Amino acid sequence: MKKIALIAVREFVTAVTNRGFIIGLLLVPVLGGLLLIALPRIFNPGRLEVRGEVAIVDTTGVVMNDIRTALAPETITARRDAGAREVLASAPEAARQVRGGNQAIANLMGPLLNLDLFEHAAPADIQEEKRWLSAESSPRRLAVVVIHADAVIPTEDAQLGTYDLYVAPNVDPRVEDVIQDGLRDALVTARVRAQHLERERVEALLRVPRARGIVVASGEERKSLRGFDILLPMTLAGLLLFGTMMGGQALLTSTIEEKSSRVIEVLLSAVSPLEFMAGKILGHLSVSLLVLAVYTGLGVLSLVAFAVIGLLDPWLIVYLLAFFLATFVLFGAVFASAGAAVNDLKEAQALMGPIMLMIMGPWVLAFPIARTPDSTLAVVLSFVPPINAFVMMVRLGSRTPPPTWQALLSLGIACATASAAVWAAAKIFRIGLLMYGKPPNFRTLVRWVRAA
Amino acid sequence: MDGNVNTALHLKSLIKTFGETVAVRDMDLVVPAGALYGVIGPNGAGKTTCIRMIMSILFPDSGELTVLGRPSALEAKDRIGYLPEERGVYRKMRVEAFLVYIGRLKGLTADEAARRGKALLERVGLPGVERKRCEDLSKGMLQRVQIAAAIIHRPDLLILDEPFSGLDPVSVRLLREVVLDEHRRGATILFSTHVMSHAEEICQHVVMIHRGRKVLDEPMSRLRRRFDPRIVRVEPLDVDDDVPSRLALPAVERITRKAAGYEVLLREGADSAAFMRAAVERLPVARLELSRLTLEDIFVRVVSDGEAEDAALRASLHVDDEGVTA
Repeated sequence: MKKIALIAVREFVTAVTNRGFIIGLLLVPVLGGLLLIALPRIFNPGRLEVRGEVAIVDTTGVVMNDIRTALAPETITARRDAGAREVLASAPEAARQVRGGNQAIANLMGPLLNLDLFEHAAPADIQEEKRWLSAESSPRRLAVVVIHADAVIPTEDAQLGTYDLYVAPNVDPRVEDVIQDGLRDALVTARVRAQHLERERVEALLRVPRARGIVVASGEERKSLRGFDILLPMTLAGLLLFGTMMGGQALLTSTIEEKSSRVIEVLLSAVSPLEFMAGKILGHLSVSLLVLAVYTGLGVLSLVAFAVIGLLDPWLIVYLLAFFLATFVLFGAVFASAGAAVNDLKEAQALMGPIMLMIMGPWVLAFPIARTPDSTLAVVLSFVPPINAFVMMVRLGSRTPPPTWQALLSLGIACATASAAVWAAAKIFRIGLLMYGKPPNFRTLVRWVRAA
Repeated sequence: MDGNVNTALHLKSLIKTFGETVAVRDMDLVVPAGALYGVIGPNGAGKTTCIRMIMSILFPDSGELTVLGRPSALEAKDRIGYLPEERGVYRKMRVEAFLVYIGRLKGLTADEAARRGKALLERVGLPGVERKRCEDLSKGMLQRVQIAAAIIHRPDLLILDEPFSGLDPVSVRLLREVVLDEHRRGATILFSTHVMSHAEEICQHVVMIHRGRKVLDEPMSRLRRRFDPRIVRVEPLDVDDDVPSRLALPAVERITRKAAGYEVLLREGADSAAFMRAAVERLPVARLELSRLTLEDIFVRVVSDGEAEDAALRASLHVDDEGVTA
């Protein structure tokens, strides 16, 4: 046991003091933080202030004033702020408390426009209007709007018309969005007035604030957050996958290096192949656990910061740890034996195909399983090794987690599979370490397992 | 099996095959504690396979062995030093860290391993390289580091697989001294080589392996007696001298003309010194030389005879049913 620990410590220290590892470990959270800070600044349209001219051809003869009101700078600003408030209303409490959050979101929602509106007489000559718009001497001309005659008062078949919008080629899509929102606002106002109704009353009748769902399970209730029920299972499966892949790849390459540098025989004079493999798996397991702890910790801190930690069942962390241990041992043994069986990384590619398929396969299924965690497919796959751990983590993180007995049974299957994998991998490892030359095919590997 | 404390190694009827190839067949060997054994044979003879089985790196298809009284080297790894034929180090590791790591795997404390590592580096002529990375050392220097790693824990049994291969003459001499020092300390030493002269210089006992089979297992002293030189090379000062008639002595069995002089075969039991004295009196010579058989000569002789008739060879070599020299 002492020798296993010595090998594990060496593997761990070698891995975590590697510059690539340190950069890799820090890269994801740093990049995430940078994106959170930088993205709104990069794409912040709040500073976008546009002055321009828009020609309106009001065929109805009743909308022009409403359009002037709807496209006035103060109305545009008010509409933008209202949109920002709506977005914030569905966000977690902590996000609502962020200083300047309202303004930041408002900035995201659109530019400030200062438009000069020109009313052109109806009926308009469309070709003439287009020439007006594209005149090179007037680069500030943004758009021409032609309001249909039936846009306010319906025709006999009760259908309401709309408008045509012609825009200059250099117009920012967000400017076009603001103009369209203003036109929609103006037309609704005109229509409501034509029906002798009050717009505020109609809007009050139409307004139904979206409620945050409360998930009711046996003995507990928790508030849901839109998208969280998909995000959480995907994150759990991702952590499992990422930790396994990262440690597995490192195991593979370090084993190949030890074999190709011929240091392996020196080591085998001091430890048995099984001790050596166990030490290596333990070392890289510790590295992956460190990474997992960092990322999980950051995730939990984020939930705490946004005051939605209540959405996370603490047992999920326990399950994640248990399933990760079983999964890592399973795939770690497979990666280590693959490394022992080949001479270099190029040869390893042939063996990596089926292994990668086993790991990546569940990732493809993660989204449908997260949406329907109780489906027959999800339940059955929860007990099919080696993918059961991934599937079960997705289900555990979903809105309708499986019964405890299913989780424990799946964990038991994962542990049994890991034991079997270690048993077979140890045999391949022992023979493969001293085999040089032609890399083994699958049949040869089976023969090694049976012969050793 | 022999679990005797006076026996460092006992191999009995070991067989190892790789596919259709029989790498080691019916290998019997007893190495007493404190002995210095050389295993010689050409490349591919089965020496390394044999050593790997002793080290429990490979496992025999059949047969039994004990190492330092244990049924497997796995149970005595901390008492065994091993320098494999395929040498390797962690390239990025510092020399000191490598020695400490190996030392700790062999049961030493970190401090003790560091202390011994430093002393050993001086012993093998590499003072001051502790902080260097292994990849910064030359091949010869690395081999010395590996030798230091093999003996850092002061093993009771030291197994060296082709230890002199790839070394320059100075390093060979240094390694020979280190091996003899270890032997004087009390370690049992078993080393393999295909360079017979190396074995000849330091071995007490020689085991010859050919095509996976042991063909000779004898102490050097007995070997020298048994292959006592009976050939004397004579080159007369006057090339026209009638050497056969001048040297027609009772001790002489046959005289053969060679390109440079003559080769005189003495009768079995003849006193070669007396013959040489008599020869000088009877014939003015430019050269008179007792032709010693080297291990290589013996090996070639043994093997070439074996090719002709294996059973006869074994009988002539006094190898009994247990495979131990009588």
